[in-house]
Amino acid sequence: MIPSWILDTFAAIMLVVAAVSAARLVAARPWQRGARPAALADIDVAHLLMAIAMAGMLAPGLQTLPDGAWEVIFAAMTAWFAYRVARDAQASGVRALAGGHCAPHLIHAGAMLYMFVAVSAPMAHGSGGMSGMGGGGMSGMGTLSLPFLAFLFTLVLVGYSIWDLDQLSGPGASGHYSLAVARVAPPGPVLAGVGAPAGPGAAAVLTEPASPPVVAETIEEAPGVPPASAPADGTGVLAPWVATSCRIAMGVTMAFMLIIMI
Amino acid sequence: MSEIAAAGVRPAWRSRLGAGAEAARGAPDARRLLQLTLAGIWLLDGVLQYQAFMYSKDFTDMLSGTASGNPGVVAHPVTWNATLVQHHLVLLNTIFATIQVLLGLGIAWRPTVRVALAASIAWALGVWWFGEGLGMVLTDSASPVNGAPGAVILYALLAVLLWPADRDPAAPFVAARAVGAQVARALWLVLWLSLAWFALLPGTRAPQALHDMIAGMEDGEPGWLAALDRGAASLVAHQGLAASVVLAAALVIVAAGVCLPVPYAKGALVLAIVIAAVIWVFGEAFGVILTGGGTDPNSGPLLALLALAYWPAAAGADDRKAAP
Repeated sequence: MIPSWILDTFAAIMLVVAAVSAARLVAARPWQRGARPAALADIDVAHLLMAIAMAGMLAPGLQTLPDGAWEVIFAAMTAWFAYRVARDAQASGVRALAGGHCAPHLIHAGAMLYMFVAVSAPMAHGSGGMSGMGGGGMSGMGTLSLPFLAFLFTLVLVGYSIWDLDQLSGPGASGHYSLAVARVAPPGPVLAGVGAPAGPGAAAVLTEPASPPVVAETIEEAPGVPPASAPADGTGVLAPWVATSCRIAMGVTMAFMLIIMI
Repeated sequence: MSEIAAAGVRPAWRSRLGAGAEAARGAPDARRLLQLTLAGIWLLDGVLQYQAFMYSKDFTDMLSGTASGNPGVVAHPVTWNATLVQHHLVLLNTIFATIQVLLGLGIAWRPTVRVALAASIAWALGVWWFGEGLGMVLTDSASPVNGAPGAVILYALLAVLLWPADRDPAAPFVAARAVGAQVARALWLVLWLSLAWFALLPGTRAPQALHDMIAGMEDGEPGWLAALDRGAASLVAHQGLAASVVLAAALVIVAAGVCLPVPYAKGALVLAIVIAAVIWVFGEAFGVILTGGGTDPNSGPLLALLALAYWPAAAGADDRKAAP
């Protein structure tokens, strides 16, 4: 039996993610016209909902909605991100699946849906589905049918988390949300700082901030950015690395949950 | 993330920026990709270590079981370690799991890659001895089919070969960049020849040894995987010697591969990956992860990752036809 304090710790991390995601939504004011593209708010909404759901799965005291409601929510979320991935794929081909922006969220939403649909009740308490945690299962949680699917989801989630962490800590191959870039970039939509090329010694080189000329060039590529969007484009709680950190935390926690429910 | 690339930006600009960023993206460094794969496996290991099984007596029994057949100098520390873990199971297992998670995250986080790789070597060597009884290589039961020489020692080997240094800037393959081509080839030879040796040990070459080894993986597995194991086990039933000789021959070919001209080397590396995949599926049942009792994915993925680290570099290949 996994000690409950470990589950509680992960639940607490998810509550932090939920709080940060809520703060991002409030700060971005997506309901205001022109404040932020509506399509971007969906990611914070997804983070918020997934974090709340996972906290409830990990700690029974944090349950909010019945399992059926979560199934509907995550089915809709999966369909939405599948649509966005398909749209990205039309624009940039299969690259959207491997390195696109929505594919990780599609996997996250799909994994959540799978966990709610495929779980069987814990052995002892059996209060039904995911909400029966703290019961008599080996992990205190239910077990998942189709364990190989759980394994596959875990591999993909771990892969995305590792990739995100790499990108977060250096420009890398597509470092438009790296901390290194964030340190040198002025406030504004300077988010595609593409720095040092990968290559021999890249691990050392890529920890350096992107060179200013590259950043400046990127700025010039962004005409007509509405000034009103300044709070929404990468500072404070809206900084790109915040969302990426949330995604890493959720990915690792989700992988943890999938594995302990096999 | 799209919210990052395009926050507060008009769609037209966003698409232009996206196109520019895409064009500016270079091909990821092969060594970094391999490091990230290693990081992912460490992270997976850490998550697996949090399973309920690891908080049960079964885990300490598994640890103490690796003392069996080993000489005293190996067995006594293993037994001591198992007893210690048994007495402080929750605390120590949580520490074990957290360390492995941190190793994975540390390798993925660029500023800490060296520290994490160095720590992973120390950790792997410790686990290899105290937790795996040196992968049972000093016993008659070591077999490449069941994970010898121990998955965890392969983590250490990979950390050395993927160390972010360029001792040989013109290295013919990634694994040679940190330690040089000759040392890298020597390590490859030692590993794969030792695997060939293990394949010929009595514990593998006995008539029913491979059959029993594979059939023994069925317990707790999903039906389809158990059926695969049964099928594979029946194929080698009473054929232990022949199967062991074939396996050993294939492993020798793989070992020699890195000393051959590039086209043959590639063939040998593909063979290595195929062998690793077959071992992982049939001999290791995906590290028994699907039973809820796997501590790691076992040696199959690591052997494949190792083979990728020896894949001949594309650039300058014409100048290095003699060897990868």
